Amino acid sequence: MSRPVRRWRLDLVPLILPALVLVAWEIASATGLLRAVFFPRPSTIARLLLAQVADGTLLAHLGLTVARLTAAFVLAAVPGVAVGLAMGMSRRTREGLDPLFALLYPIPSVLFLPLVSFALRQEEVAVAVTAAFTSFFLVVYTTMTGVQQLDRTVLEAARHFGAHGRRFFLTVLLPATLPAIFTGLRLGLGYTLIVVVAVEMVSAQRGLGALLWLSWQILKVEEMYVALVTVAVLGAVLTGAVEWLRRRLIPWAQDIAEVGA
Amino acid sequence: MAPGASQVSIRDLTVAYPGRDGRLIALERISLQVEPGEFVCLVGPSGCGKSTLLRVVAGLASRESGDVEIRVNRPGRPPTAMVFQEHALLPWRTVLDNVMFGPENRGVPRPEREANARRMLDLVGLRAFARAYPHQLSGGMKQRVGIARALANDPEVLLMDEPLAALDAQTRVILQEEILRLWAELGVTVIYVTHSLEEALLLGDRVVLLTARPGRVKRVFPVPLGRPRGLEARASPEFGALVDRIWAELREEVLKSAEAERRDPPS
Repeated sequence: MSRPVRRWRLDLVPLILPALVLVAWEIASATGLLRAVFFPRPSTIARLLLAQVADGTLLAHLGLTVARLTAAFVLAAVPGVAVGLAMGMSRRTREGLDPLFALLYPIPSVLFLPLVSFALRQEEVAVAVTAAFTSFFLVVYTTMTGVQQLDRTVLEAARHFGAHGRRFFLTVLLPATLPAIFTGLRLGLGYTLIVVVAVEMVSAQRGLGALLWLSWQILKVEEMYVALVTVAVLGAVLTGAVEWLRRRLIPWAQDIAEVGA
Repeated sequence: MAPGASQVSIRDLTVAYPGRDGRLIALERISLQVEPGEFVCLVGPSGCGKSTLLRVVAGLASRESGDVEIRVNRPGRPPTAMVFQEHALLPWRTVLDNVMFGPENRGVPRPEREANARRMLDLVGLRAFARAYPHQLSGGMKQRVGIARALANDPEVLLMDEPLAALDAQTRVILQEEILRLWAELGVTVIYVTHSLEEALLLGDRVVLLTARPGRVKRVFPVPLGRPRGLEARASPEFGALVDRIWAELREEVLKSAEAERRDPPS
């Protein structure tokens, strides 16, 4: 059996709907059906976006947001996977942590920002901690559920064929849980982006969220759209990157995910 | 045969576990000797504990009393290797890596374990699928990998827990012949659980009939049919007569088992 060769090709189907929306918007805005003050023509937004990319202003905001996002995501993902694995493997750990987590998890994490800022006195650290908060629980619970749903017979077979202790953890439990871990990371990354931008809107002077909010405040609506589009593209690129990594690391779960396609 | 010469000696084995209304006895005072190179089939009504017996021999379940002794002829060789009913392959490993898994855990050097695994894949006819993942294989192919994985671990005793139960009838016939061929070629001792009398008679040197729960050895039937046993063996009058004889006794147990279930439905 040869490895299937995946050639890159442009698939137009997913682009049809966005293209239709953009064309309709362009026409509506140009003909005055939409008020151009609040709904400027997509072509105008695109020109401004390119100009801001060219002069570097947009990339400075983007870079700051990506840096905050990275810090927050690492802060959520690394301990999240570790705690999730521990809770999945040990009933006592689960029983010990679950009540506290159940209490904390539903709190909208932005509410902690003032308190965290005051306690840490480091604005950037406070942003990262706040944005990591809910994602941490998402990663924990997805990972934990992944461990709990593992096929017991497969684990028993692995032990029967001599995998114990550290070996069992590294060569059986961890790879078996990898699909669930990836689901958790994808959810966590999306949520981290949402909170980072939200926190930037309320508290930062720079970054995509700040750019969006400050532009709106002075009614530079076109700039607001530039920030909005950049956040959307950033989200799509991140999701694509996680998906690419998943395909690379978990080739064995590929066709399972594609059932029904 | 002299005492101690058996490959597997099961003496007075009792297995119980906590049930809804106190202690539930799964197996009661089982005694059984399996000789080196022998192919023994376990049959009995469902729920009689035949799989449990296999799991105790494999060290996967614990016993309450009695002894299970497996002679290890070559030190370092694992006493048993199990072929699981639902194949239980590791989905994240390729076929080759699955077959190498046991030797890898025992610290067999890579070139040696890979050569060995490839030989086993040749034996089960899956040489071309070494790099495939389990989900890309059919049910029959997965079970071949399960058999190759067990054989690659070079066990003293091969344990097979209804390995063909989940397969379609045609695939089952093919694999029965392959199992016989492998057994003849490798000379390994086999304990094989099945719910099919025909399968037991086709494969086994002896057929051990267990009673309804609590499982006890009801009778041991030697199978006086010659080998190799192909399709023509199934058609012979002795084969039919033997099926009838065993079925007559198994039937009582199946009825008892059904009766017990009506009185005390499983939760």
